[in-house]
Amino acid sequence: MDFRLSEEQEALREVARDFLAARWPADKMRAALDAQPALVDDDVWKEIVEMGWLGVAAPEASGGIGGGVVTAAVLAEEAGRGILPGPFLSSLTAALAAESCGDDVLLGEIIEGRSRVALAVEEPGGSWGPDAVCLAATPCDEGWSLSGTKILVRDGQEADVLLVVARAPDGLALLKVPADVPGLARNRMLLMDGQSASELVLEDVRVGSDARLGGGEGGLLEAYEKATVLCAADLLGSAQASLELATEYAKERVQFGRPIGSFQAVSHRLADDLMKLEIGRSLLYGASLALDDRRENASALVSAAKAWLNEAAIAAVESALQIHGGVGFTWEYDVHLHMRRVRCNVACHGDADFHRDRVASHMDAALAAEGSGP
Amino acid sequence: MDLEFSAEDEAYRAKLKVWLAENLGGGKGSVNELMKSATEGGNKDPLAGARVWPRKLWEAGYVGLAWPKAYGGQDASFTEQVICAEELAKARTPPMINTIGLSIIGPTLVQHGTEEQKKRFLPRILRADDLWCQGFSEPEAGSDLASLRCRAELDGDSFVVTGQKVWTSLAPISDWMFLLTRSDPDAPKREGISYLLCDMKTPGITVRPLRNAAGGMHFSEVFLDQVRIPRENLVGELHGGWKIARSSLDHERSGLSGVLALEETLGRLWRMASQIDRGGEKAVEGPTTRRLLAQHWIEIEGLRHLGYRTLSDQIAGAAPGAGSSVGKLFASDLRSRMARTGLRIEGPLAQVAKRSPHVIDRGRWHAAYFDALGHAIGGGTSEIMRGVIAEKVLGLPRATED
Ligand SMILES: Cc1cc2nc3c(=O)[nH]c(=O)nc-3n(C[C@H](O)[C@H](O)[C@H](O)COP(=O)(O)OP(=O)(O)OC[C@H]3O[C@@H](n4cnc5c(N)ncnc54)[C@H](O)[C@@H]3O)c2cc1C
Repeated sequence: MDFRLSEEQEALREVARDFLAARWPADKMRAALDAQPALVDDDVWKEIVEMGWLGVAAPEASGGIGGGVVTAAVLAEEAGRGILPGPFLSSLTAALAAESCGDDVLLGEIIEGRSRVALAVEEPGGSWGPDAVCLAATPCDEGWSLSGTKILVRDGQEADVLLVVARAPDGLALLKVPADVPGLARNRMLLMDGQSASELVLEDVRVGSDARLGGGEGGLLEAYEKATVLCAADLLGSAQASLELATEYAKERVQFGRPIGSFQAVSHRLADDLMKLEIGRSLLYGASLALDDRRENASALVSAAKAWLNEAAIAAVESALQIHGGVGFTWEYDVHLHMRRVRCNVACHGDADFHRDRVASHMDAALAAEGSGP
Repeated sequence: MDLEFSAEDEAYRAKLKVWLAENLGGGKGSVNELMKSATEGGNKDPLAGARVWPRKLWEAGYVGLAWPKAYGGQDASFTEQVICAEELAKARTPPMINTIGLSIIGPTLVQHGTEEQKKRFLPRILRADDLWCQGFSEPEAGSDLASLRCRAELDGDSFVVTGQKVWTSLAPISDWMFLLTRSDPDAPKREGISYLLCDMKTPGITVRPLRNAAGGMHFSEVFLDQVRIPRENLVGELHGGWKIARSSLDHERSGLSGVLALEETLGRLWRMASQIDRGGEKAVEGPTTRRLLAQHWIEIEGLRHLGYRTLSDQIAGAAPGAGSSVGKLFASDLRSRMARTGLRIEGPLAQVAKRSPHVIDRGRWHAAYFDALGHAIGGGTSEIMRGVIAEKVLGLPRATED
């Protein structure tokens, strides 16, 4: 029993934090907001690939460093904290999907930076996740014909390959679609945090039968759980950064002759935010570990982490803005950068009610199994 | 990172489970049976029945796990303490009447008591021979406990104590009270406090029970008039009581046993919502109730995993970090939220009094509600806990002058 990050994980966190602070200062993100889409500089991206971050979760045999979902979550949290734009998280998400669906070749290409891959799940219709997928995969001579629309594909515009979730006659399928295939139109979507996303319109897009990844529906669902966990980790990173900014400011800013952090309306609000983040951090590690250990309550824990961190992160960034007063409302302060990112992430991979409903379904099964005691 | 217990730990758990199953059944020699017979046959101790369970648990080695063997404890490993707390919380056990002794004054004496005090008091706490109450709060000293006034003057070999305590839980049935007194009125307020142990049968003590908001008799006023307490009953140094009191407020058990109780409560809420009608369907089928209950599941898992983090720190020998104060505050808020959910699920029938034949679940949710509200006051209010987090964890400046 040891529910702490290992020394290696803590060391990696520190390396990532220092690297991002030095190579991707917040000013770059601020500037990128005026020149959308925001993508990380090429040389920074190259270093990220060289450091092996995209293989953080993958087993060593597949060219990764074997850290599992827990270590991937640590890096995702740092990416959130460091306001790092694409294609890091979208690529890491794709790498985890390739691993869950057993495509070692694709995984290798992502890890080595030879191919940019983006996962395409969401569709118009107002919900989230594989359950809501309508895009059809119909068998044809070459293999599969795909028709339908995907939206909010992170870094889809810059991807070489799109991993498209589709509904095949035998269930959900994950298919590799080259970005330059005939019948695929990519339209840019602008996100409020400046990051890149695409709408994909597929009209009878033909791909070979080898385009379908293995792992069955289970692999694909697991891939979505992992994408959700990374998003939750990103939220935690933004929230933690916001809490620290607000706390530091509350110690320094003096009004009525004393630091504003000595007013309980301020300090108790921050204490509540801290409590919520500590609960969120605990849920995040619990969900990540449950995915690594393939526990049966893993997907309920993933939903728990996402639902909780959605609300905790909003609370933390709103506090940060409020506690900074007027300067918190300026373009030059970093608070709104975190606010934008959090606002995008809470609407990504399921809002809090979506995830509470998933938890309730888990309880239906789990509590019914317990029988009807008093 | 892993959440597995070792094979030895799992064997310990298995043995404890067997013991619990054997002793909690209704058969001959079971605790139920012994509790019934304890009060028969002219036994004058009204608490004889209530003492059966804690005593039996201690005889089997499942009480005082963290305490040294020399004083009747077990010197058990940290994980054994956790497993024991978990399994006891899962089993439906009779109440422990010596909880204040086991969780507050016992650990304080283990840490700060003299050899004589440990030998004299610890085994009697473990066997539930002595029940204890805590005399800290006073009418003018609640959250600002250090401003307490109850006066202790050294006179030869004893202290003479005069003053008033209030909100003293379980005072009428207690054999002993540990109390904070003002021994040096001229010193700064935290430096003139002494920590004393007082026999409740000493002349000069009057206990006046107070009825609480829930209607029960749980706490009392305790008046002390020239009560003589032998000097040997001073814990720690003369005027050095404040630090000891602070440490005894930290003697919290691992939050994990609290999690199991909350989990049990959630199961009850779910079952109630599955049976109660609301607008033509079962309450549990309505989105509002479903999401509320799902939210509690999320909150409980959050608390459980926070508990694992705190526990891992403790196993590794590190001081429990932010986890313990955060967990305490969160658990106390969560208790209130869940009790409110219970009343909400009851719908119109939430108005019905416990003694009415129409009451749901024998009035459990009213009781839970009052209980939770009291919990957010006793042992340091939620506001004070937020202040502790702001100051100790976030490093924000104090709100008050001292
Ligand atoms: C069920 C129950 C059992 C108890 N059992 C015992 C016992 O066995 N032994 C014992 O010694 N005591 C016991 N107490 C007393 C308990 O510890 C005190 O009630 C508590 O510390 C608060 O003190 P007070 O009642 O004087 O309230 P006050 O301190 O007067 O507080 C009143 C309100 O003001 C707020 N407040 C006070 N100071 C601040 C501040 N600095 N910042 C912000 N808000 C503040 C409080 O949070 C509270 O909401 C018990 C209380 C309850 C409810």
